[in-house]
Amino acid sequence: MEKVALTVNGFTQLVLVESHETILDTIRNRLNLTGTKKCCDEGTCGSCTIMMDGKPVLGCLTPTLRCVGKKILTIEGISAGENLHSVQKHLVKSLGLQCGFCTPGVVMTAVPFLEENPKPSRDEIKENLSGNLCRCTGYKKIIDAVENAAEEMQS
Amino acid sequence: MEYYHSPDTIQDAFSIAEKCDGNFIYFAGGTDVQIYRKQNLDKNDHIIDLSSIHDLNSISLKDGNLTLGAMTSLGDIITSNKIQNKYPLLVEAAKSVATPVIRKTATIGGNILVRNRCTFYNQSQEWRNGVGSCLRDVGDICQVTGGKNDCYSRNVSDTAAALIALNAEITLLNSAGVSQQPLKDIFLPCGIKFHDLGNDNILTQISVSMKPKRWWYKKLRLRKTLDFTSLTVAATIDINNIARICLNGVSMTPILIEEPLETLTLENLIKQARKNCKTVDNDLMPLKYRREMINVFLEEWWEYEHRK
Repeated sequence: MEKVALTVNGFTQLVLVESHETILDTIRNRLNLTGTKKCCDEGTCGSCTIMMDGKPVLGCLTPTLRCVGKKILTIEGISAGENLHSVQKHLVKSLGLQCGFCTPGVVMTAVPFLEENPKPSRDEIKENLSGNLCRCTGYKKIIDAVENAAEEMQS
Repeated sequence: MEYYHSPDTIQDAFSIAEKCDGNFIYFAGGTDVQIYRKQNLDKNDHIIDLSSIHDLNSISLKDGNLTLGAMTSLGDIITSNKIQNKYPLLVEAAKSVATPVIRKTATIGGNILVRNRCTFYNQSQEWRNGVGSCLRDVGDICQVTGGKNDCYSRNVSDTAAALIALNAEITLLNSAGVSQQPLKDIFLPCGIKFHDLGNDNILTQISVSMKPKRWWYKKLRLRKTLDFTSLTVAATIDINNIARICLNGVSMTPILIEEPLETLTLENLIKQARKNCKTVDNDLMPLKYRREMINVFLEEWWEYEHRK
């Protein structure tokens, strides 16, 4: 076990972690931030997406020790208290979620994407979310939500 | 017991590797290797993560010659204006790898050296226990062919196919010094030991000097995203009208066919491709279909090349 300082959602904490551990397991099991979901655990579904220094990464493929000295942002840190981020608001408004298991990953993929591409086309949104599997919505409403969020974020 | 090392320089990486005495694995982006570790297919005790070595992450275009640091992410390659303008084939190949999020972490060096894949090997421990281990794992026969000597797992690097079509060279660094060689020469016709770099070399750079007149690229896979290739064809025509057609995903190594365009016939091209590809039934797509698609892709390229 190694004792490392991790900065997650703006707070730096000392955590004891295994050398082989992924950041997904660390944030869920050691920091109790269970908003980030563990699903396929092999990079296929996108539900564990988090942000590392502003860049989306898959928690299940990222070693925790690679995150030392980096700023980690999880779904718990994306909203300002009870004020949801535009992407979250529009996912709710457009019915872009049903069971909600994929939603944290969708949000954490869409937010940095919209920051990089403020005026994305629908095809670009589809391409960007292509690594996020959703078994409920059929994707249309998720894409609608991200499109609407992009419009709102511009105005 | 597992240990994670994150050296800041290549020299540090070499000295750690020396101490680990072969019991280590290099992580570039780690997006593929991490899965091998979870599936118990990689059991090395030491991980040497190269992502903190910053001088391996660069894109430079001088006098039309492209030099890429091996740790350049596929995402950076796709968004680079320099590469988009001069080497759109490479951008197209990089875009076809995995998903946009994975491409932000996955590196060009890691993708070139991606491990060969087989439906009977790239599975969970439980799956392999149920079906039986293969030659490449701890078993004694190939689950695909029943043979006891050869592994036919497929090379699935899309960027390697594009870079071989672009006649790329790679730079290797080891404790003795620097060496350069054509990318196509590093691959070995074996599903288990699929390149000859060994543990004492680190791939540091990829250089492309060829300026193709035309290029063509297509990838066959079940989904439009994420999936590894079932067949990739990358082709270029250089200023001397030499065609370089590279097929990947259908054999243990990328298959290069290089011939002057004037003397090349479609029939001969397909014949050479079918002869050189050691395609076996080790992909989710049926063998017959994949073989047929070799013809289809080559015919499509041929039509594109001879369009009026």
